Amino acid sequence: MSANPLLKIDGLSVYYGKFRALLDVSIDVGEGEIVSIIGANGAGKSSLLKAIVGQVPKVEGDIRFEGQSLVGRGTPDIVKQGVALVPEGRRLFPSLTVEENRTLGWETGRRGGMSREDIYGFFPVLKERRNQPANQLSGGQQQMVAFGRALLADPKLLLCDEISLGLAPVIIDELYKILPDIRDRGVSILLIEQDIGRSLAVADRFYCMLEGKVNLSGKPDEVSRDDVIKSYFGGHE
Amino acid sequence: MTGVWVNQIVQGILLGGLYAMFALGLSLSAGVMRFINIAHGDLIVLVCFLVLTLTTSLGLSPLVAAAITLPVVFAGGYLLQRLLLQRVLGQHVLPVILVTFGLSIIIQNALQGTYGADTRKVQGGVIEYATIHVAGEINVGVLPLVIFVSAILMVWLLDRLLYRTRIGARIRAVSDDVAAANLIGLPSPHIFALAMGFVGVTIAISAGFMSVWTNFDPTSGPSRLLIAFEAVVLGGLGSLWGTLIGGIILGVAQAVGGQFDAAWQVLAGHIVFLIIFALRPQGLFPRY
Amino acid sequence: MKPTILLGRLALIAGVIFLIAAPAFLSLRGMQLTTEFMSLLVLAMMWNLLAGYADIVTVGQHAFVGIGAYAFFGFLVLLGVDPYLSVLLAGVVSLIFAIPVMGLIFRLRAGYLAVGSWVVAETLMLAAGKLSAFGGGSGKSMPVSFVKSFGASTPDRYANVYWLAFALLAAAFLSTWYLLRSRIGVGLTAMRDDEEGAGAIGVNLRRARVLCFLWVAPFLGMAGAIITMQKLRVAPPASFSILDWTVYIIFIVVIGGVGSFEGPIIGTIVFFLIREFLNDLGVWHLIILGVISIGVILVEPKGIWGLLRRFVPGDLIPVGHKPRR
Repeated sequence: MSANPLLKIDGLSVYYGKFRALLDVSIDVGEGEIVSIIGANGAGKSSLLKAIVGQVPKVEGDIRFEGQSLVGRGTPDIVKQGVALVPEGRRLFPSLTVEENRTLGWETGRRGGMSREDIYGFFPVLKERRNQPANQLSGGQQQMVAFGRALLADPKLLLCDEISLGLAPVIIDELYKILPDIRDRGVSILLIEQDIGRSLAVADRFYCMLEGKVNLSGKPDEVSRDDVIKSYFGGHE
Repeated sequence: MTGVWVNQIVQGILLGGLYAMFALGLSLSAGVMRFINIAHGDLIVLVCFLVLTLTTSLGLSPLVAAAITLPVVFAGGYLLQRLLLQRVLGQHVLPVILVTFGLSIIIQNALQGTYGADTRKVQGGVIEYATIHVAGEINVGVLPLVIFVSAILMVWLLDRLLYRTRIGARIRAVSDDVAAANLIGLPSPHIFALAMGFVGVTIAISAGFMSVWTNFDPTSGPSRLLIAFEAVVLGGLGSLWGTLIGGIILGVAQAVGGQFDAAWQVLAGHIVFLIIFALRPQGLFPRY
Repeated sequence: MKPTILLGRLALIAGVIFLIAAPAFLSLRGMQLTTEFMSLLVLAMMWNLLAGYADIVTVGQHAFVGIGAYAFFGFLVLLGVDPYLSVLLAGVVSLIFAIPVMGLIFRLRAGYLAVGSWVVAETLMLAAGKLSAFGGGSGKSMPVSFVKSFGASTPDRYANVYWLAFALLAAAFLSTWYLLRSRIGVGLTAMRDDEEGAGAIGVNLRRARVLCFLWVAPFLGMAGAIITMQKLRVAPPASFSILDWTVYIIFIVVIGGVGSFEGPIIGTIVFFLIREFLNDLGVWHLIILGVISIGVILVEPKGIWGLLRRFVPGDLIPVGHKPRR
């Protein structure tokens, strides 16, 4: 963990009306790190990502990116700062072509760094399908477009929300293989997953969440599998 | 005798061009922002009165007057969406219906308070009376022809705007899934407002033509809204070319109905709409 | 009994006592005004039932008022039916018309449904203008002999129409209250608050919406008949008046509080007060109502009652039986 992490979340709580989805969560992501957040459904993982990009109604605590607070700023501003999200369920725009979907990423982002050709390097299949409507692609290909859209924003921090959801294992393997390559291009990754095995295999560090709180963190090879499972399901000691 | 009927159909098709123009803006706002602006017709009439004021008090030609209103109405549409409508768009359908309904009543009565209840028309000069003799009993007015061609041009341009430009892609994105658009950092309120600005432009153009071609008074808005609504539903939601066809069907229905008996003109349009709607509720060319 | 409910019952009883005693002391103009008040309250309660609970926002409510007016006129004047029976039959005709109208507009959603209902109303109004037996586009007055059939003298007639309006209001009030307290009403309330919650209660929402639409039609039709007994003539733009039977009604419900039982009552009272003061202002009267309505939606979408409800611990006329959490 570096002294000046790229992303530093400090005592974050998230509210939806009276419902509190996140309670006093503190998380760091360093430069060039893949950090994984694991937890069961409803643990508050997605709320965390939405809070980072400024899409929750009310937060307490602080979110700092490169030392600047992101709290209270609009999403377009945050994305321009270098944070991009691959949303849960991909969320492509069905009436837009593959190319148009990806171009939106470029328009909303920092407009530099990764080029279209770089993205086609990661996902060659998209090149031949670039003029098709996004909803005619398979689930795996749609996920690639969602990645491409986020990467074209040239992020310093890529947020990935449940990228394995609803995809075949072969496809998931392929996507996970690309994550270290993306990291090696200088992009830090905050990865949210329900799939403990895959997620821990690729992560440098991890946090485990339960009922809106972080209850375990560390490096994957320094924590026993049993402890992880216990934290994940909230087994009582 | 058949010549008279053919002529009526031709006139109806040309009238349909104007109706399609009314409907284009409604189609855009319904397709993108997913709400029906009940004040749509009243906004058209409001701009008609604006053109009237510019031509009578400043002595401008209708063309210049309409050109002046374009940027004004674009800005007006932008601000209306950004400051008022955006605040009531959400999961519940009631607020936006009621706000646009309230707006409709306010505009009608404000116009009546300002201009009185009299029927008005903008003087268009020679173009109003120029006709082209086609064949037999078929005569085509130059003004209706210009309007019809403009309507086709507007559909084409709007289609290009939506499907061939970057702002068009953004508009379709927020229309597809506004939550996802927000998540990836698209400024959706700004994009919606721009779309409403374009709606304003279609309102200004159709109002410019309408003010020269037909009579209007402060309460003319609702009938324009109903025509526009019918054209949009007939054409199929989200289909701009369908909207053009929908407008033409209504124009022909009215012209033919009016040929039977002048008093049946408007009613014939509504009845044809209801029949086609009963048979094909999804419209003729549904996009979704 | 909770104090708020007690207060509500007391207010209702006071209202009923006033309405029953009123004919004894009100002038003819007072009678006429109170009759109109009761008719408008029925229309407001009906629009509120549709827009506030059943998610059916119509801008075409005047269609059924007009149908009721024409049906009443037809039965009474053209067919010579007893006037009171004609009022009931006007409700039946309105209900019959509601079935195909529903078949059409229920294919539309939200704003489309709103404007669609308006198209239907406009079509029916124009069609009514083609009925030569009813005087065509310029309408027809009721011959004196028929006017006398529901009151030999003017005071008699005013009293009879008053009691009819009172009976209609009582029927509308009690039956709608009963409807909203039934399982269907609880389901509708749940739907309004939270679509998923309603599914859990197990109420078929589509059927509930159909029921509400058909529920409303006869009341609107009978209100149209009673209004015609006051106006003594039918004419397309007056009997199918969008301003009187839809625009004002929407303002009444929105200002009073849409989606509550108290809202339409408060709204109608406020509307009559405003009208007495603002009628001199001409067009400004409607502009002010429009501005107030938009303001209400932006500030407190539940209207005056929503505003009061922040200070009052419970509903005065509760309709749902919400399970305690």
